Amino acid sequence: MTDGPAEPSTVPPADPTPRGPVPTAPPAAWPAPPGDGAGEPRQRLHPLSPLLHGAKSLAVVIAGLSWSTLSRVGFGWFAAMVAVLALGATVLSVISWYNTGYHVVGRELRVYEGLLWRRTRAIPLERLQAVEVVRPLLAQLSGLAELRLEVVGGGKTEAPLAYLGVADAARLRERLLALAGPVTQPTAPGDPTPAVVPGAAPPTRPAPGRPLHAVRNKDLLVSQLLTPQAFLLPFGVAFVVVQFVTAGSWSFVAVASTLTAMAGVLLQPIRRVLDDWNFRLARDGGTLRVHNGLLETRAQAVPLARVQTVRATWPLLWRVNGWLRLRLEVAGYSLADADDRNRPDRLLPVGDLPTATMIVAEVLPGVRLDALMLTPPPTRTRWLHPLGRRAFGAGLFEEVFATRSGRLTRQLVILPYARIQSVRVVQGPVQRRLGLASVHADTAGGSGATAQDRDLAEAWALAAELTSRAHQAHNPT
Amino acid sequence: MSTPGAPPPSGSDTPTAAPLGRGPLEPWPDTVHWQPISTDLIWVQLIRLAVVVAIGLAATGVGWALSGHLLFGIALAVVVLLGGWRAVAIVRAVRAWGYAERDNDLLVRHGLLVRRLSIVPYSRMQFVDVSAGPLERAFDLATVQLHTAAAASDARVPGLRPAEASRLRDRLTALGADRAEGL
Repeated sequence: MTDGPAEPSTVPPADPTPRGPVPTAPPAAWPAPPGDGAGEPRQRLHPLSPLLHGAKSLAVVIAGLSWSTLSRVGFGWFAAMVAVLALGATVLSVISWYNTGYHVVGRELRVYEGLLWRRTRAIPLERLQAVEVVRPLLAQLSGLAELRLEVVGGGKTEAPLAYLGVADAARLRERLLALAGPVTQPTAPGDPTPAVVPGAAPPTRPAPGRPLHAVRNKDLLVSQLLTPQAFLLPFGVAFVVVQFVTAGSWSFVAVASTLTAMAGVLLQPIRRVLDDWNFRLARDGGTLRVHNGLLETRAQAVPLARVQTVRATWPLLWRVNGWLRLRLEVAGYSLADADDRNRPDRLLPVGDLPTATMIVAEVLPGVRLDALMLTPPPTRTRWLHPLGRRAFGAGLFEEVFATRSGRLTRQLVILPYARIQSVRVVQGPVQRRLGLASVHADTAGGSGATAQDRDLAEAWALAAELTSRAHQAHNPT
Repeated sequence: MSTPGAPPPSGSDTPTAAPLGRGPLEPWPDTVHWQPISTDLIWVQLIRLAVVVAIGLAATGVGWALSGHLLFGIALAVVVLLGGWRAVAIVRAVRAWGYAERDNDLLVRHGLLVRRLSIVPYSRMQFVDVSAGPLERAFDLATVQLHTAAAASDARVPGLRPAEASRLRDRLTALGADRAEGL
């Protein structure tokens, strides 16, 4: 895995860039783009981006070579290996940069990439869920930004355009959101999206629109100290120290490996602190704007019409302060994406009930988080959940279906009827003996809401009611 | 629903009436008319099972013959038992499978041990698959599957006559286009 494979591919077998004749005319069904669009030339990413990719691969290379390699081959060789690998990666990214381009055709964003395996992706903008501008640390230093598009049905983030100039990224985001426009308009009550002056919207400034909430960094720190990882850390440290003292071996590799492992355990709380630092939430017409991050600032724009579910979580240790966390699910993000940093799911990293109630009312008008009265399942479910029976609950409200679960980490899912994709009633063997059934309401992306262990007759009624309300929510007449 | 466009049923098909009594997964018995699926699916699945069991028997039988170890004999018995149990389950599961077309949604129910009922509004349908493997084709059957934007949605109707399958597909796509709202 040196730069060996890079060399042959620098000699392209064919003409490397068919740059000119791209714009195949947009399909007739699509309206002509506003302003410049159809014949616009293909654009390159920022010329500095291959360097950034190369620098990013440096970290991967070092991690891949690991501590033990360092101790085996010595520092000089180690540095040489790293340099060679990183150089190879940079050369590869220069080639890929040279062959990558994007432009907007009609209501599509087309992204071209690849030298040997050409790939053209047409991203229909009406399926756009969210656009975010991400600025990793390196990109912040070099004044660049990465643009990520989230699309319905895509399992993962489509087309991360890495990297663009900050002004370019902001301009392209506004343009894409405007093209995806009709989606955001219906839910915009009152204030229209302010016209963004091109080039004047670097994502580092506060999110535009009406500010809703800003999380205090102190609360964030305290909340992440109130996690199992932080609680267990002293025990871990004590264990390691005792072991070293008794074994008496202080080799560099052992210490380094232990520290790495420890960092791994602490990674989640630390990452949450870094990610959610300076968390600000604003509303801009029908779009929710989230701005957060310490090392890597991100500005996300989530059209409210695309919110599928809102999830409130009360972790056990946070109950001392009465804190909770709010997340939202947007169509197009698969649960399989374990790396939850890339999902625009944060609504409130930490906050008290009044704040959460205010935010939920903003996202789902007419829903009062503090006034959702849910009915628990029948008493005979104590055979299934001896302790946590009262923790379960479900309820139908005017606009939303809400379910609750979890004894230790309480979780409340709020699902607007209009977002229900299908309803399922599932009855396992034990449930059949007890005359119970579970009702699932599925949404696009995310896991939907589940009313666990309801009385069978109630489950049928619930399923029928959910189906008809989902239908009504779509056909108001 | 009164005219399933199937050819004259061969053998044990009962295309007009729901075969089961009022099971627990018949929620709205007055309004829902459950359609059974073709019992020929039993044969398709039994043949599939037979292939698996035959392989299992051959492997354990050869092992037993060569080594004479008692463990292989026990494994052989287990294969036979499991095959028999599965055969009974297949027969009952196919008879339990049913679907119903209502005005606004499609209902599909299946499963014996874990009973499932799916309600999929036509308006949420993204696309419809009609598929038929070689074995299914030999028995003149096809499978219709509805896809929504939710990965968890589970609306698959196997064991349909091709004519009924394409009728269902056409009806679903027509209704879906009528009521299309997507997300």
